[in-house]
Amino acid sequence: MIEIIEAAGLSIQDLGREGYKKYGVPVGGVMDRYSAIITNYLVGNDRNAPLLEFFMGELKLKFLKDSIFAVGANSEVRLNGEKIEAWRAYIGREGDTLEISMPKNGVYGYISFQGGIKCKKIFGSCSTYPQAGWGKYLRGGDKVEIQYSSKKMLERRELPEELIPKYEKEQIIRVILGPQREHFTEEGIKTFLSNKYIVTEESNRMGYRLDGAKIEHSEKGADIISDAIPLGSIQVPENGKPIIMLADHQTTGGYAKIGVVISADIPKVAQTPIGGKLKFKEVSVEEAQRIWKRKWNTLQNIKRYLNGEIRALRVKINDESLLAFVEEL
Amino acid sequence: MIRAAGDSALLINLGNEIDEEINERVLSIAKRIEEEKIEGVREVVPTYTSIYVYYDPLIVSYEKLKFLLKNYLKEKPKEIRGKIVEIPVIYGGKYGPDIEFVANYNGLSVDDVIEIHTKPLYRVYMLGFLPGFAYLGGMDERIATPRLKTPRTRVPAGSVGIAGKQTGWYAIESPGGWRIIGRTPIRTFNPNKKTPSIVLPGDFVKFKAIEDAKEYEEND
Repeated sequence: MIEIIEAAGLSIQDLGREGYKKYGVPVGGVMDRYSAIITNYLVGNDRNAPLLEFFMGELKLKFLKDSIFAVGANSEVRLNGEKIEAWRAYIGREGDTLEISMPKNGVYGYISFQGGIKCKKIFGSCSTYPQAGWGKYLRGGDKVEIQYSSKKMLERRELPEELIPKYEKEQIIRVILGPQREHFTEEGIKTFLSNKYIVTEESNRMGYRLDGAKIEHSEKGADIISDAIPLGSIQVPENGKPIIMLADHQTTGGYAKIGVVISADIPKVAQTPIGGKLKFKEVSVEEAQRIWKRKWNTLQNIKRYLNGEIRALRVKINDESLLAFVEEL
Repeated sequence: MIRAAGDSALLINLGNEIDEEINERVLSIAKRIEEEKIEGVREVVPTYTSIYVYYDPLIVSYEKLKFLLKNYLKEKPKEIRGKIVEIPVIYGGKYGPDIEFVANYNGLSVDDVIEIHTKPLYRVYMLGFLPGFAYLGGMDERIATPRLKTPRTRVPAGSVGIAGKQTGWYAIESPGGWRIIGRTPIRTFNPNKKTPSIVLPGDFVKFKAIEDAKEYEEND
């Protein structure tokens, strides 16, 4: 059991609700899947284990029972006042306090506990979606229960530094144009791909509203017959300012979509702070799927590395230092 | 007709207007694709005029899936037989705070609004937006009313409303700008049920005016 002492945008999340979009059920789940999955892997959990997500720290928790945990955020972390590393598994003992500062880069952070957090599943998921009354944000005094685990550390307990996600305030975000490209003029598409867009304060787990050069619609206009909204869809309403649909987005909507952010870049969008800038770059579906495959392989390699199945070597190729996962055959 | 919607979804577009025949074809083909259980396909979501297919690009590529799906478009669609679902509604009073506005806006009496609203058999075109929200077609334009200028922060679950030429109900409590004319006492969306929504696309809805909720509360 963990007691929350101080909270900031703190909620229980997993990878969300799959398979119920046709009933209007949003997927929800963590905003940054990449960080969340790594944080789970560090303690030996499945990628989908329920964990804590926080937004823009300061955070203080107290262990009411021993638990192996990891913090996945570029924050300063203290256990009983002593500085410890993020992206590394530790054991918290009964009575220990864990303090986490605001992330130095990125805005969402994760805390995993071996075994995962216990919760009542709705549509197969623990993800908090207060709009429907499915869970609530956690506050000081709340307690969360952790599932039983063996409390054994993995073979390796630390993410190699090269793989720690770092998020800049200005990001290049790759997108696949469409599916309603014809609702925009050539000029509109050009505007979208050649300007930087700022993340505004009207941004939350449902979506980020951006400000910047007005994107011109074609004679078809901004409205479409309502259809589905995949994660990362970029809707452009009448005002010409894009909205990127994120974790808690509704399943359908009536604004024309100029493009969809590729899966690999959704964490980058999610981790951009208010005032941060996004510049969009077009890629093909094939390329996006290749990029995703590589990213997925990296995640699987991290898991195998932590389990001690493969080794990581720092190698220098043409003066460039790289991390290579190697497997002895 | 088939186009990408990002790297893990595609859509099959079957028309460009809200039309019963187009939507029937959408529902029929969506059902067919769903039943086929194509490897890598995660979810099939029918909308007014398009079918969205969500897939795992690690298992099936866009090009391959597109190729596979083309086959289903050639088939003659099977008829979808929707059921008629009666939704009891307590109109007006504390449950329908905007019914007078709707009546005045359209130069009608409150009774006229109720009569006009309960008359049609509304077709469910799709579910979406919020959990269990049904997009209905077939509202009489004589009761069309613009949305509230400032949306309410809380609309109770079951509230029946009008927004422009659309009508529908809030399956869960949420913020919203629809003109609320009544409330249904029945629970239309329940996450614990195998089919969580009492209406599905292709079904028809008939609103029925009731005086009080007693008999429904007992049955719930």
